[in-house]
Amino acid sequence: MDKMPEQFEFPWQHSFPPFFTLQPHSETRARQISVWRALILDYFRFAKTCTLDIREASHHPLFNNASINRKLDNEFILAALSDLQRTQNAAPVDKQRHRWEIYWHTLEEWGNLIYNYVTNRGATGSVLTLFELTQGEDVQDEEFCGLETDVLVKALRVLEGEGKCEVITSDDLEGVKFF
Amino acid sequence: MRRRAGVGAIQKQKLEQEKYKDKGNEIQENQFEQMTKQLEVFRVNLEEFATKHKNEIRKNAQFRKQFQDMCASIGVDPLASGKGFWSVLGIGDFYYELAVQIVEVCLATSYKNGGLIGLGELRTRLIKARGQGKQHQEISQDDLICAARKLKIFGSGFSVVSVGKGQYMVQSVPGELSMDHTAIIERVANSNKAFTSVSMLREELNWEATRAQKALDHLLLEGLVWIDLQDVTEKLYYFPSLFTACINATN
Repeated sequence: MDKMPEQFEFPWQHSFPPFFTLQPHSETRARQISVWRALILDYFRFAKTCTLDIREASHHPLFNNASINRKLDNEFILAALSDLQRTQNAAPVDKQRHRWEIYWHTLEEWGNLIYNYVTNRGATGSVLTLFELTQGEDVQDEEFCGLETDVLVKALRVLEGEGKCEVITSDDLEGVKFF
Repeated sequence: MRRRAGVGAIQKQKLEQEKYKDKGNEIQENQFEQMTKQLEVFRVNLEEFATKHKNEIRKNAQFRKQFQDMCASIGVDPLASGKGFWSVLGIGDFYYELAVQIVEVCLATSYKNGGLIGLGELRTRLIKARGQGKQHQEISQDDLICAARKLKIFGSGFSVVSVGKGQYMVQSVPGELSMDHTAIIERVANSNKAFTSVSMLREELNWEATRAQKALDHLLLEGLVWIDLQDVTEKLYYFPSLFTACINATN
């Protein structure tokens, strides 16, 4: 029988009402932001998703704790995401900074994870499809299994910049060749 | 008219005074000697007692408390010095060790409570940190208060705040708390909530709004409270150190 997916366990701060108000005292605020950073990354890692739209975020269970009737406003969410962007753990996808990608591994880390996997399997020199890389049977136990294609391509582009692979995009094939 | 005293009389008077003085000194010396002897006997006895019961003092929290009380009632502080005969007992060491561990727990938790911690939480965390190996050394709240008070010598960085009803909190950030601040902490600690507000303080402590606001602003500035602006009626000020989920959180 399949194991039921466990519920995400929120830290105690998530039930602490002032956690949802940006703190005026600088030290407290720094602590607050750092907890939010970790929480956002943990949550997205747990949910295995990468995308977030700020305009819908105030309904998101991460940013809205209905049981204590507290939620983050968009400004706060933007501040937290900008802080994540500073360390390459998030990036806006559109110019209005509404849609974001969250990288619980930075693109560089993703790239290295994938590259290590490929070299360990001795698959350098061969072409792998993007589908194979994230959905294939062989990668089921890998952390990048199920990684969203947009993020995957960005991570591969980083590797490409390092001369470790070449991303091949044609109409009928999306693949990558590792060196 | 009576004749005034001559030189002879003055000298005689002087001589008498000196005699009195000598006698006085003698008596004083006698008393001092006796006192010293008594103290010496007492010191020996106390030392003997402490040596004899060294293990109990180290292991038995209640015994330790009684020994402390006994010492306190006669004005002896076995923790005052690591040197001298008390060092033989290792009683001072016991408390020094505790004090260091208190500092460790305070520092380790200050990121979330801003440097204010309830004695109960402090004790739980400290016992956990001491590990299984020393579980025979039971630590009581009295021990913690005793050790924490010793930390005062480092200045205002550490203080034990009484919050009433036999409850204590340890403050580990520099900056003195005034009577008003302690009164607020006491109020909240004795309620079943972790927050307060200007109107609650007005009602419970009969303060004027400005007085309450000033005290709360200070606590905010010290990082001891967090402000919550999403309540429908007014600003709420939360103590993480009194918030149950924070106290019980493992990290």
